[in-house]
Amino acid sequence: MRVETAASVRYGDGQRFVPVVVGEFSNLVAHYPIFFSKDAQTGSFYCGAMLGIDEGENLFLTEGRNFDAYRPMNLQRGPFYTAGSDIAIDLDHPRVGESGQALFEDDGRPSPYLAGVINLFRDLKPGLDQTKVFIETLLVMKLIEPVDISLAFDDGSKRQLEGLYTINRDRLKKLADDKIVELFHRGYLQAIYLMIASLKQVPVLAQKKNSRLAG
Amino acid sequence: MPDMIREIVVVGGGTAGWLTAGAIAARHQGRMKSGFKVTLIESPDIKIIGVGEGTWPTLRTTLEKMGVSETDLFRHCDAAFKQGARFARWTTGEEDDGYYHPLMLPQGFHQVNMAPHWLAQGKGRSFCDYVTPQGALCDDGLAPKTITTPEYQAVANYAYHLDAGKFAPFLQKHCTEKLGVHHVLADVAKVNQAENGDITSLTLKQGGELKGDLFVDCTGFSCLLLGKTLGVPFKDCSDILFCDTALALQIPYATPDDPMASHTISTAHSAGWTWDIGLPARRGVGYVYSSRHTSEEEATEELLRYIGPQAKGLTPRKIPIRGGHRETCWKNNCVAVGLAAGFLEPLESSAIVLVELSAKLIAEQMPANREVMDIVARRFNEVSNYRWGRIIDFLKLHYVLTKRPEKFWRDNTDPATVPDRLQDLLKLWKHQPPWFLDEFDRLEEVFPAASYQYVLYGMGFRTEVDPNDNEPTEDLAQQQAGENAAMTRKLRTQLPRNRDLLRKIQEYGLQPI
Repeated sequence: MRVETAASVRYGDGQRFVPVVVGEFSNLVAHYPIFFSKDAQTGSFYCGAMLGIDEGENLFLTEGRNFDAYRPMNLQRGPFYTAGSDIAIDLDHPRVGESGQALFEDDGRPSPYLAGVINLFRDLKPGLDQTKVFIETLLVMKLIEPVDISLAFDDGSKRQLEGLYTINRDRLKKLADDKIVELFHRGYLQAIYLMIASLKQVPVLAQKKNSRLAG
Repeated sequence: MPDMIREIVVVGGGTAGWLTAGAIAARHQGRMKSGFKVTLIESPDIKIIGVGEGTWPTLRTTLEKMGVSETDLFRHCDAAFKQGARFARWTTGEEDDGYYHPLMLPQGFHQVNMAPHWLAQGKGRSFCDYVTPQGALCDDGLAPKTITTPEYQAVANYAYHLDAGKFAPFLQKHCTEKLGVHHVLADVAKVNQAENGDITSLTLKQGGELKGDLFVDCTGFSCLLLGKTLGVPFKDCSDILFCDTALALQIPYATPDDPMASHTISTAHSAGWTWDIGLPARRGVGYVYSSRHTSEEEATEELLRYIGPQAKGLTPRKIPIRGGHRETCWKNNCVAVGLAAGFLEPLESSAIVLVELSAKLIAEQMPANREVMDIVARRFNEVSNYRWGRIIDFLKLHYVLTKRPEKFWRDNTDPATVPDRLQDLLKLWKHQPPWFLDEFDRLEEVFPAASYQYVLYGMGFRTEVDPNDNEPTEDLAQQQAGENAAMTRKLRTQLPRNRDLLRKIQEYGLQPI
């Protein structure tokens, strides 16, 4: 059994909005806007990186080439997921087959690829819990607000991005000193400013989309 | 200043008492550090009545202002969504006779009056379906929002059905823990008054005395302060609204997944009507009837027949209803809220909304000192009397348009029992449908013109329409009707099943934003 690691729509990389964890923000901010959004099933907030504008669209994916930018952990993990404290593999995942990276060496030891996956989950699993606490803290401090983004493209088409939330900067400015210090010590202040800075990636992403529409 | 109003004493710990104490305390949080104080005193052994399980959408704003989490409300009060009421068998009494009074305003209500356009061309479709998706949503058993809709926000306007027995303790916890309301468990042995009649303090049976500047009487039907102490008489309205008794039952579901309506089902019977309210854990059903038109035995039989096999082995609880209200609700330094102020049959769930409106007015218009209190009191009485009158008119409207043959219903249509104002309105509405600049022009009208439209045209009332008069707004009306049809299609596919959403709220909660 092998796992295909190339980035491709047919391997499930065609995702417009990918859940991310706080620990990734500094890698993400150079490429993607980071927003909060709500899980459609539970209504709970999560953090996500925006990779495209339309449903199923990943503007950082060029078929036949590898990922153009830092690849969010949720895409790196491929067919693997956590089941309790174990790492499990989804055998029906399109990446799983006869080609690609082997999971084990001939002598039965885990391959460097599998070791990498195990390493990834060492960051990803606690990262999801940390991100949850980060969001809960921001909600209590009322630092999250909905944001409406309207985009107009050169071909005349328009997009209205819905269901996105970002940092409420007015409230952040008015936050009491002790709260700011608390956010700082927990590492949240940096995460907050990375999210704010990541908004600068929205026009960049829109420009990518514009080029695709044109050409 | 010696006569500043700083100590507010609310007497009675039911829904009215805690909602009023909470509204006042929330509004005046800032003044608490300079001596403003809200105390609620209640008897350790009086059981609360728990009026009605139906509310109005205003409760969302009221609770949000008090800082209550909506998720907590759903989790602790067995609360569910209410998108309005369906009135079954009120017009002809036939099986297929029914209409909705939804909580959404007609599409484009502030731009164009859809009623005359529906009258001219809405043939085959009910007025409700012509102007709002909400009837269809209720028919489909859908919730008025989704799990991603923030707390207190709606996709389709909604109120709650809730367990009133759980609601008062829920409010108590919030008021005492979050809003700084002082809670005293004691009986009032004596009400002490000044020479001018003002209440100065309450002597407590358990010892001690409770002083106050303003007393809020939430003592229910006993009306201890305003009625018994200050002697304000009760104005009976049983000559207009005949129902004087209710038989109430709680019915368990056969399975925990039984469908659950997101509206109140109000069904007309031979001498009154039944409410049927779906809470997550049980249904609440009751027959409100006129004892002058039927006996308790017959009424019980009619109620049990309506419920069917599930009523087996259940005995209804009998509750006397005294329809009417105090002639004035604020006298001296005492204002009555809730059942102490008055009660009307729960046909349109007017009890809790009236508490909210009164509480809000008291909280917002809190007199600074004793001298200006009489001005506030005069205004409060004027607006309260207006509201009682409008609610009585609106409830009576449900009865006067009936074609049912039973004596109860025939007696209800006797003009001698119909208030003059309502008679005038009905005359007027034969030629013009209710809308803005009609009489419903108060800032906080309990029932807006839209409510009258839903009932009138739901019950087959006809207003003569001049096609030439419709012409200038024809295009706009058609556009609105089209938008409503499109929204109806969209919401029917997007909204979750009522029970599914309530279960999700129990599990995941709603987000505050």
